Amino acid sequence: MFAQIASGAGMTVVITGASLLIGALLGLPLVAARRSAWSPLRALATGYIDIVRAIPPITWLFLIYFGLPQYALRLDSVSASIVGFSVIASAYMAETYRSGLLSIPRGQWEAATALGLKFLPKARYVITPQAFKVTLPAVAAYAISLLKDSALASTIGVHEITYQAGLASRATHQGLLAFSIAGLLYIAMSVPLAVVARRVDRVLRRKLEVA
Amino acid sequence: MELATERTVSPPTLGGVKVLGLHKSYGKHAVLHDVNLEMTEGEVVSIIGPSGAGKSTFLRCLNYLEVPTAGTITIGDSTVDAGARRPDRACLDRLRRVTGMVFQNFNLFPHLTVRENITLPQMKVLGRSRDEANAVADSLLNRVGLAAKSEQHPARLSGGQQQRIAIARALALSPKVMLFDEPTSALDPELGLEVLAVMRDLADEGMTMIVVTHEMHFARDVSDRVMVMADGRVLELGPSEQVMTAPTHERTKKFLRAVLDR
Repeated sequence: MFAQIASGAGMTVVITGASLLIGALLGLPLVAARRSAWSPLRALATGYIDIVRAIPPITWLFLIYFGLPQYALRLDSVSASIVGFSVIASAYMAETYRSGLLSIPRGQWEAATALGLKFLPKARYVITPQAFKVTLPAVAAYAISLLKDSALASTIGVHEITYQAGLASRATHQGLLAFSIAGLLYIAMSVPLAVVARRVDRVLRRKLEVA
Repeated sequence: MELATERTVSPPTLGGVKVLGLHKSYGKHAVLHDVNLEMTEGEVVSIIGPSGAGKSTFLRCLNYLEVPTAGTITIGDSTVDAGARRPDRACLDRLRRVTGMVFQNFNLFPHLTVRENITLPQMKVLGRSRDEANAVADSLLNRVGLAAKSEQHPARLSGGQQQRIAIARALALSPKVMLFDEPTSALDPELGLEVLAVMRDLADEGMTMIVVTHEMHFARDVSDRVMVMADGRVLELGPSEQVMTAPTHERTKKFLRAVLDR
């Protein structure tokens, strides 16, 4: 039974990893729009972020998996869940980036501007490395919560951990054991993630905030 | 129109500064009224005055960290006409190329070592190679007496040391004019001295400098002229000795009494 449930771990990792990556990338233009000087664009980005976060993840999945086919966009369950979680992740990541940017003192931007650095080198070499340090713990926390949310993909038939545990419990009538194994698998994945994030965070802090 | 002709008639010398009719307002609230300043290359001007006078705002307009609402700024051979809806990008870049700025709070990049702070802008703005940039950084660090600190992160250093590094970082881009925005205000008096010493050396070497400061000795002894500002206006501008010892304006007398006779 353990082998069967553990076979879902790969799919859990794929969905979490892909959504986190896509969400992290989509979050960049989103945060740029959120901080744009042009107010219509800013309003659009703010609206997107608020609406995406207001809808529960499971509703998003159903909307995409059961709703979109009405307009002929039929996604398989894996793609649908990656799309759904990516959309959600993009909104959360954009807000995480924003808090990172807000934590950087204005003087850093001003010094870089006064030195004549253009937008891209300024963002790449001055702002991002500092923002990264601030956002890393939040990103790690979000990755863990996404890992757990990915269990919802079982409801549209993605063969991940929780889905496999459900199958096993019905086949053997040992629900307690099946879902305990599933729980342990989630722990086995999220705890190391948290530990690594904490360690990296500590190293970065030691390097940057020496004094 | 009149301003434009005047500018073409008397262009500033190579590293000179010419600011004509600079205005700045936030909405209806005007913070700078018609500020004018002409400097020849190598001149040092100190700007003094009560807080809220617009001294820092004026300085920050010169490299467009603040956007002036009207006026013309010429530094070296770069001219920017303020008030235009959106000043030409290339003009702003040139203006920032010829000015170096030193801030009250140093604003060193905390994630980079001292040497990287000085090399990064050289490589990204001037396109220097890492070796060239390192050579410039090392010679400047020598000059400000901090060669031994090049591998440290700024947080390990005292405020005075950080400010000297900020000066080196600005100098590394070979600016024509150095703008100092209260460079010693965040420092203990003793640490301020080492920064002032570096600035004095710079002035002796012929750097054109505009210094917003509360250091009255520096204003009197090092700068050629002193500009007194209050309420967004220039009250007087004249040779340091004269302004500091025999000011003409009543407001200046009051201010100087407050800072000197305490």
